[in-house]
Amino acid sequence: MRFVFFHLMPYPYLPDDFDENHRSPSLTFPSKYFDPRLGRELYHRYLDELEYAETLGFDGIAVNEHHQTAYGLMPSPNLMAAALSRRTERAQIMVLGNAIGIRGNPLRVAEEIAMLDHLTNGRIVSGFVRGIGWEYFGHSVNPTRSRGRFNEAHDLIIKAWTSDDVFQWYGDNYEYRYVNLWPKPLQRPHPPIYIPGAGSTETMKFVAEHGYTYMSVYAPSRVVKMWFDGYRAAAEEAGVTPDPEKIGFSLPVYVAETDEQAHREAKQYLEWLFLKGLKQGTEIVSPPGYMSQGSMRGILKAGLKPFAELSYEELLAQGYAVVGSPRTVTERFGELHEQLGFGQLIALMSIGNAPHEHTKRSMELFASEVMPALRPLGVASTAGAAS
Amino acid sequence: MSNVTADGERAASAGPVSRTLEFPGGSIQYFREGRGRPLLFLHAAGGAGVWHEFLERLSAGFDVVAPAHPGFGPSDELPEVEDIDDLVYHYIDVIDRLGLDRPHVVGGSFGGWVAAELAVAAPHKIASLTLLGAVGLRIPEHPVTDLFFLKPHEIPPVLFSDPAKAAEMFPPGEPDIDTILAAYKDQTALARFGWVPFLNNPKLERRLKRITAPTLVAWAEKDALVPIEHGRRYAERIPGARFEVVDDCGHAMYFERPAEFADVVMGFLSGVSR
Repeated sequence: MRFVFFHLMPYPYLPDDFDENHRSPSLTFPSKYFDPRLGRELYHRYLDELEYAETLGFDGIAVNEHHQTAYGLMPSPNLMAAALSRRTERAQIMVLGNAIGIRGNPLRVAEEIAMLDHLTNGRIVSGFVRGIGWEYFGHSVNPTRSRGRFNEAHDLIIKAWTSDDVFQWYGDNYEYRYVNLWPKPLQRPHPPIYIPGAGSTETMKFVAEHGYTYMSVYAPSRVVKMWFDGYRAAAEEAGVTPDPEKIGFSLPVYVAETDEQAHREAKQYLEWLFLKGLKQGTEIVSPPGYMSQGSMRGILKAGLKPFAELSYEELLAQGYAVVGSPRTVTERFGELHEQLGFGQLIALMSIGNAPHEHTKRSMELFASEVMPALRPLGVASTAGAAS
Repeated sequence: MSNVTADGERAASAGPVSRTLEFPGGSIQYFREGRGRPLLFLHAAGGAGVWHEFLERLSAGFDVVAPAHPGFGPSDELPEVEDIDDLVYHYIDVIDRLGLDRPHVVGGSFGGWVAAELAVAAPHKIASLTLLGAVGLRIPEHPVTDLFFLKPHEIPPVLFSDPAKAAEMFPPGEPDIDTILAAYKDQTALARFGWVPFLNNPKLERRLKRITAPTLVAWAEKDALVPIEHGRRYAERIPGARFEVVDDCGHAMYFERPAEFADVVMGFLSGVSR
């Protein structure tokens, strides 16, 4: 099992009337609620936590991209990766990922990741995401073109990283007469690619066919199981057996000395994350054309409640998050591993409005007591191991 | 492709036969009913594939052809029709393939935008132009409501002035999956043509002077989606255009007041036809 410490960098200081008077912390939540003094403190605190995760023995430290939201303060994840690159030495620095569906110029992503690969001495991981629905409102990109833009940007970036010669690119979404990437990335043929999926069958197939790492997003474990099974089936169809590490289970994790203490503390942090941070209507999450008819049908059939309607008990019972003492958390992940099959645990441990001290203690307990126990799980058998 | 019966009780009981027309990559659905000069009706974001009272009334005096735009309702998304100028060429094809001889063109809301673009691009192809609550103009000081951003319960009051009429169109209770998916398909088709620029063509306003067809611009008095200033601007810029307002009505014009809108349109067309 590989362990990743994943940060969202939330802005937790919401106004008291947030629940009554604001429909979401995203897209239209006015930036007058951002206090620059507190913002500055948060950036430094959060970067400290990411650096500390390496010290504790996490295999990777991860950041992501969001725009116009208090849910996460990283419009440019590549800047965060750059800030981490020379302050760390061992852990992979994982951008999970760049929202290439909404970028006007995907070559810029190719350039920045290539630079980061050198700054990190080959530790960069390149995630690609389409960008959340509201970002298609915020950056004025047509969501009906999301899939096409994502696929084409991906193809262009990979070719830019791997081509030895100048080439031209004529696509439906992008046109370049001269593509000639300086610098090329350090890792060959290019940095590892991670792609999160939220049930889209198109994504499962795409990730499987390219041999990339597929990672989950917030969902009940019964739904994550369908996604991972779908990914494995798509891989089988493509004639590959994915290494367990190519399946990343991503979710909030909180550890304290006892179950009782863990729940007492984690309840409000998880409630911040799901009831405030993820308070968002379908209209901004799935704008028209962002989902295919088939994927939309699948999501509707899954009958999921909106995040903001989930109780703390439901969040835990359904497997949206794992909370408890080191022993409970270890056992729970043992069960989940059995049920879902994954070789990489991408843990969101700085949850919502959790203070630094609690986050730090949770990370320490996870690293010292949970990680060693789970380490042997989800490793490729010798016969099937990737060389 | 054989004719198929339209979905929905109304069409099955009273409406005309649903027909299809093949295009590269798919087919579009249309109704054709009535006698007289041909009239091409271009529907709004909603109402694709539905034969409704307004159309029934128009068909009393005209050979009404009412296609569902590509991607809307029962029509397939057509790969070659991906933005508004493609739609104009699409309707030139529809006019030619159905042998419509200089039809009157009546467009509501999104369909009004398409109608205006068609009248600019192919003035010789049409006998008259009627714009009903049409989008298409860029007037930043009077923005069109962002209907993509509305929550489901926020939509009916934006479309209808009379809550009782809204309730007929949007029955209370949770819609089933197929209803949600059908609405998502229509919204997707609309977004394909109108996400950005948002339901407008920045060049359209300066081109309106090219329209030669007799034009009626009609608006609902209480349009909460497309401000009435858009109607006034259309009427100012289209040479000789007539401007009429239907009182006490919301943006869903011909669904909220079908008789009144039919009277206004028929009144205008009777003057043109002679």
